[in-house]
Amino acid sequence: MTSTWLTWPRPPLGATPREPVVAKAAAQRISFSGPQARALWQPRLDRLRDVAIAIELEMVRREHIPATVLWTGYDGIEALTERARAIGLEAKPVKASLGYAADWTQEAWIDEPKRLLDYAFLIGAAALDVAMADPAAEDVVKTAIRFGYPACCAESWANHLRRGGSDSLASLLAREDNAAMPAHTALGVLGLGPVRHAPCSAGCVATRDRSRAFLDLGRQLGFIEEMSWLEEIACWTVNASLVNGIAEITTAAFRCTWLSDEGPSQPRPAAPAPRPEKRKAAAITAAGSADILAELGIGFESAGFASPFAMRSRFSAVVWEQTAALRRATTAVHVGCGDGLLLQLLAQTKPKLKLYGTEEDTALAEAARQRLGASSPVLAGASIEALAALSRLVPGGIDIAFVDPERLGDRDALVAISAIARSIIVIGTDRSLHRFRDMDNLAATMGLALLPGRAARVSATLSPAMDRLH
Amino acid sequence: MTVEVRPLGDKCNIKCRYCYQEGIRTAGNVPTRYDLDAIMATLDRLAEPFSLFGGEIMMTRRPDLERLMQLGFDRHGGVGMQTNGTLIEERDIELFRKYRVRIGISIDGPGPLNDARWAGSLPATRRATARIEAAIETLCREGMPPNVIVTLNRINASPDRLAVLCDWIGFLGSLGVRKLRLHLLEQDETEGGEGLALTAQENLVALRRLRQLEQELSSVEFDIFAEMAAMLRGDDARTSCVFHACDPYATRAVVGVESDGRLGNCGRTNKDGVTHLRASREAFERQLSLYRTPQSDDGCQDCRFFLACKGNCPGTAIGGDWRKRSIDCPVWFGLFEDIETELQANGETVISRSERRADLEAKMIAAWSIGDNPTLHSLLQPAEAT
Repeated sequence: MTSTWLTWPRPPLGATPREPVVAKAAAQRISFSGPQARALWQPRLDRLRDVAIAIELEMVRREHIPATVLWTGYDGIEALTERARAIGLEAKPVKASLGYAADWTQEAWIDEPKRLLDYAFLIGAAALDVAMADPAAEDVVKTAIRFGYPACCAESWANHLRRGGSDSLASLLAREDNAAMPAHTALGVLGLGPVRHAPCSAGCVATRDRSRAFLDLGRQLGFIEEMSWLEEIACWTVNASLVNGIAEITTAAFRCTWLSDEGPSQPRPAAPAPRPEKRKAAAITAAGSADILAELGIGFESAGFASPFAMRSRFSAVVWEQTAALRRATTAVHVGCGDGLLLQLLAQTKPKLKLYGTEEDTALAEAARQRLGASSPVLAGASIEALAALSRLVPGGIDIAFVDPERLGDRDALVAISAIARSIIVIGTDRSLHRFRDMDNLAATMGLALLPGRAARVSATLSPAMDRLH
Repeated sequence: MTVEVRPLGDKCNIKCRYCYQEGIRTAGNVPTRYDLDAIMATLDRLAEPFSLFGGEIMMTRRPDLERLMQLGFDRHGGVGMQTNGTLIEERDIELFRKYRVRIGISIDGPGPLNDARWAGSLPATRRATARIEAAIETLCREGMPPNVIVTLNRINASPDRLAVLCDWIGFLGSLGVRKLRLHLLEQDETEGGEGLALTAQENLVALRRLRQLEQELSSVEFDIFAEMAAMLRGDDARTSCVFHACDPYATRAVVGVESDGRLGNCGRTNKDGVTHLRASREAFERQLSLYRTPQSDDGCQDCRFFLACKGNCPGTAIGGDWRKRSIDCPVWFGLFEDIETELQANGETVISRSERRADLEAKMIAAWSIGDNPTLHSLLQPAEAT
């Protein structure tokens, strides 16, 4: 990256710019829109900054302008003065400004504070009068014209400086001017050229002529490719805005920002930002808390849970644990299905699963029917009768039965289930897991044999060895 | 600094209605492949603990995910992972245990309270939510309780649902969840998110109730309240990014390692569908501007909580313009006031009411002006100690 920077804009400059080296600040604050954009444009921008310095110095050498101002760090001073001398120009220091802490080395911080500064040099023909870039108030317009400003821009820039401004883009953005901001004008802040003065308006014809002269001189000096990049940039759509004293420019390749003049806050509407089309989504419907609680699950206490959240969470975990078993199944029953929550979760996981429920509590059985709809029969009555009805309803049997063995009451119910279900999955409720600690203890206590699995599981398949239940 | 590894960028298997990454996905800026070696090389160079992030990180191929977990375990003793939890499978539990994965799961509530985290249809959304609930319970039962991230919105925290949300959080505490992070809904990306945001007053009511809940539930901690109290004490060593003068061009608190190993910014600041790369220099234009801009112009001038808040997250700025203060300002202000009052009642000194506030502000402004961002803690140290 270049270590020498053109002042933006050309002198005369504001007394107290918010960023001492605006061009450097803006360039360091470029954020590319992607790796391809960065790979293409970062080296080009670096090169264009170097080329702009060369063109600017040539303009001084040819006396198109009397001088220019370049910034450099302490270590760049010698090279800069030597470069000026080599083309017959003189470099004189005009000011210094504290750089950025992130650039400071530990050694400079302790021993060499001069390395913490950036230095501005006026470069022109000898004998150079350093006051020329910093004129008395009444000479500002004249000075601006000497530094290459068209008369219209000199007048406008002088007015902006008198109002205490320092950033030419701010002076443009602060006006009620809805014309699209030309890319060269907006990006002049980066010190790339071809616009080197503060334009009076976005559409200033004289500014366009000066830009053309810059490009022509660049080509004369052999910078053919670089000038073609500038021509390409001229076609870019840019979005420029100034909000609360912060300027921001956005292009398709990058965005950059810097502290600008304080001024009226008005995002410039000239070029619409490329915002993506908003995604449509289904309308949001929100039920009240009573409906929500019913939806979360009722009858949790009789089902053996501490709260509706615990019941929902546990049943969700059961479904999650039994993903593989469900993949193979086409039918399932929840014996003692309560309000049908587990069956609903099963239906959401595998919509093609044919589901059945049995429930002794008529209110809960009705709630389950409401939750599940007519396609999933819920059989009321005591377990044995309901299971008998189920075996008549599904003579071919059921693939999976989910059961809480504690709720079954006696072993006959388990025998009845094993008569119609090809696989039985035992569920651990809060009540049973609190009492028995884990599934293996639960099974052992109840005389059941489970297939092996994680110790912390909350459901388990009854071992086929339990065939003796028949 | 939090390093977020994002092999698949913002790619996700669900489409939360309020997701701040939706603009990027809509614009099609989601990588379809990744270079794991480049990602690992960048992580080697950064030499910082990292978190696996997304989009949805669990969409990454398991062998690659395991390599990243192993790297985190080998270099840093473990790795963070932020996930929506829907793709966690039983076989992953052992991976998490083996590589000491600290898991954060995003969910806004049980069943219907999580409907804003949309998965394409209502049944698919409910199925996804059930899987998240299952993952939380399983991780807790396996002795690896996840942190839970809840975004407050109209579906889970409107006045008539707040009590249900609180009861559910109590249940999470009983399961073993110890830490919850609360987010306010970011209101700028998707039309799907319209109507989901709570008003500032509703947000404040919700957060006050949740703060009260934190005192009732001894086992559950909400990061945000402790962090706000810490900021008011000037103790910002461990507080999260929203209180640390975030620069949207080069987010310091959150650095993304993207699919090709390059460094990215925190996605919350991407408002135009573009994942901008980091600028080469961090700067503090936003804070400098907010400090001197009147509140009527969306700045923070004369706010006594400025040092603690700093305009909050630029991703939540008014109108989506990072140069303005957070749209959630009234919520943060109200909470800071509550906490300030309590700290003072306990005899503690708070920077918002301190005689040193002006001096501290001047020092911070001076530091930001040269691109430095000292901690409040360091500025509060006696001169001889610094």
